[in-house]
Amino acid sequence: MPKLIIDDIPVEVPPGTSVLEAARSVGITIPHFCYHPALAIAAACRLCAVKLLDGPVKGIQMSCSLPAQDGMVVSTTDPEALKMRSLVIEWLMLNHPHDCPVCDEGGECLLQDFTIAGGHSRRRYVGKKRTFQNQYLGEGIHHEMNRCIECYRCVRFYQEYAGGTDFGVTGSAGRVYFGRFAEGALESPFSGNLVDICPTGVFTDKTGRFRARYWDYEFAPAVCQHCSVGCNTSPQNFQRELIKIVARRNDQVNGWFICDRGRFDKEYLNGPQRPRYPEIGGAPGEYRLALEAAANRISEFCLQNGPAGLAFVGSGRLSLEGCLVLAELARVVGAPVSYFAEAAPAQGSLAAVRLLNEQNAARIHDIEKAECIALFELDLMEEGAMLSLAVRKASLAGAQVFRVGGAREGEKRQLPFRYQEVATLDEVPFEGGSKGVVICGAGGKSPELLSYLASSGARLVMLQPGPNAFGAALVSLERKGATLSDLVESGQIKAVVCFEADLPPWLLERVEVLACADWKRGGLTEKASVLLPTTTWVESNGTSINYEGRAQRFLRSRPAGLPLKGLDPKYYSSETEAVALHPPHVHRNYIPGGAEREAWRVMADLMLELGGEPVNEPLTGTWGKLRDLDPEGEGVRIYDLVSAQELS
Amino acid sequence: MISEALKKSLTERVAGAITPREAAVDVMKELQAHYGWLTDEAVAEAASLLGLSPLQVEELATFYEMIYRRPVGKKVIHVCDSISCWCADCDGIIEHLKKRLGVELGGTTADGMYTLLPCACMGRCGDSPAMSVGGTPYGHLTPHLVDEILEKERRA
Ligand code: SF4
Ligand code: SF4
Ligand code: FES
Ligand code: FES
Repeated sequence: MPKLIIDDIPVEVPPGTSVLEAARSVGITIPHFCYHPALAIAAACRLCAVKLLDGPVKGIQMSCSLPAQDGMVVSTTDPEALKMRSLVIEWLMLNHPHDCPVCDEGGECLLQDFTIAGGHSRRRYVGKKRTFQNQYLGEGIHHEMNRCIECYRCVRFYQEYAGGTDFGVTGSAGRVYFGRFAEGALESPFSGNLVDICPTGVFTDKTGRFRARYWDYEFAPAVCQHCSVGCNTSPQNFQRELIKIVARRNDQVNGWFICDRGRFDKEYLNGPQRPRYPEIGGAPGEYRLALEAAANRISEFCLQNGPAGLAFVGSGRLSLEGCLVLAELARVVGAPVSYFAEAAPAQGSLAAVRLLNEQNAARIHDIEKAECIALFELDLMEEGAMLSLAVRKASLAGAQVFRVGGAREGEKRQLPFRYQEVATLDEVPFEGGSKGVVICGAGGKSPELLSYLASSGARLVMLQPGPNAFGAALVSLERKGATLSDLVESGQIKAVVCFEADLPPWLLERVEVLACADWKRGGLTEKASVLLPTTTWVESNGTSINYEGRAQRFLRSRPAGLPLKGLDPKYYSSETEAVALHPPHVHRNYIPGGAEREAWRVMADLMLELGGEPVNEPLTGTWGKLRDLDPEGEGVRIYDLVSAQELS
Repeated sequence: MISEALKKSLTERVAGAITPREAAVDVMKELQAHYGWLTDEAVAEAASLLGLSPLQVEELATFYEMIYRRPVGKKVIHVCDSISCWCADCDGIIEHLKKRLGVELGGTTADGMYTLLPCACMGRCGDSPAMSVGGTPYGHLTPHLVDEILEKERRA
């Protein structure tokens, strides 16, 4: 391992580490633009100059592209290096429009930071600046080419990393332009990452421009709840509104990036259609009254029909906490608990959870390093888009990729890697198995089929039908959950109490909905005689378990309640006129629409009403080990905490 | 539209390359010769021949000085403005060309004969100031010599 000295600090790093990364490892940030840990080295910007005072190479060098070697003595503060960096940043800034006050990147801009860090603060250039025409790039991203400093990060990400072909770099010399052949929406389902990866404000998130500055935002570590990959994100909230979502690094899950669905699909969180107030028989009411009404309805029903005629229903949308408390609630009432509405998704989900273990559940790095990958009857871009980038990495490194069973119905997105079509899994040449991976969707697959896939000897990715469907299936096994459709079809169940569940119309028709708690509207909330609003992941603390059995903690990043923007005039001093973008002028000690609670707290409250014990900590027993899960860590795989085989 | 014969020969050229990208310049040059400049249509055709996206062809097309993405005159004049030629007063030569042709850099003469473009070092520094007209190189330029060359090339 090379040993070197950087600014008088001895450093030892693994071979192949660059001087820039070695410096970073001891807390020295050398200004850089083109360097990005996820991308190949370009050495395009020339900002990362350091001076080598002694050792195998001497003089001014680019630290991002210089591998650390034994005996190097590096100075990042040498006057020559400082001068070089300040001149480089000055030339990179020649054409910059100096429009930070009207740039949405301002305050979270690497160019601002490194211009200052690089020591350039006074403009000497008096010539004309080169200017560009911007392009329309779709509804997600705004283009402002004049701010470009030609670091090539965007194109390296878009084409090399994400396999997109409709965005790139044209021109030469002083006219280098980053854009499309012609205006139009970016095609890659990962295009939103341009916002994160561009060190300046060339690409800004159109869905949240000009609403707030970085220091205004409320952040917290979050986990994407759109699919079972569980990518790590950082939601940026302002005045109870989710303005933007950016990727948060987790090398075990999503690396540095997220897909566009995870980034842009967020309107449902802010939207006025969300249930904000408890409703009793369709009319808004107080939380306490609604709870009592729900409890009464449950008690009455049990008196008349017996508790076995009632089911408590959750889903893979519930957090692990919600799943656990739901089982307790059902136990208090003496009613069955169910986490799956229909048999098909249920059996696949449960079977996958039974089959997977520490050895055979593929980690993201197993996919990236695989030699042979089979995509088995799934729409990868729909069920777990980010995994396609791991497959792409493997494919570029020479792995063979096979798609078994052809495209799924309604498949819209192209896969960003080369693959061969084969009819059956037997045609896939897994050799020895250790470097093979099978990727499938678990929902809707029969247990026999999943076992057959597992018997290939390859590592397994079984994508779940919900963000925490893995967790729901585990709890279902532990707490002997039943599938709702089975209960209804056997005639046992006549009524349900649902928590963040979704029932298909035919099931909904056959049950009475005594109460329902959810953060979104649907058939269930329509039909429920009592509705209790719950918080979404933005307003909740919780745990979800992703497809590979990795438990991850997410934290609340804003309080529950209506966003300030668009708040009903009744909250302002004037009854008729809302003052746009300004808080109400009348003091209140409550947050408008702030009655939403985390689903597990609603369950706990209901339990108390029904004569149960208070629940202060939802993670108990074996699950208690997850209490200290670090939301900023990599999460933990649950296999040594709970064994699905033993649960069932 | 290109002829079937041209399409066939280009397809063979691409098939013979180790990677399709390698054949891109040849394909673009052939199509440019066919259309007079590399039209949008030609970019799309090149893309489909090479198995690239139009944008990826555009990336290459706009990098190379002698691929024209705008209409040009019958002959293109590339006049060098790099360091050696600059020392030998290419600025004067460029001014003279502009005056004689009645166009700015990038412009095409009214009769459609010439398009005037600056270019980077052509490797003829020893003959500076240098230019090329319709692919023919000329060096040791003087205003007088430039006039002669323009006349000669116009007739050729
Ligand atoms: S657009 Fe942004 S990421 Fe792309 S080269 Fe310019 S500064 Fe770099
Ligand atoms: S791959 Fe799934 S979890 Fe990751 S960002 Fe996309 S939708 Fe969210
Ligand atoms: S970061 Fe090293 S040259 Fe750009
Ligand atoms: S500088 Fe003009 S030919 Fe080299």
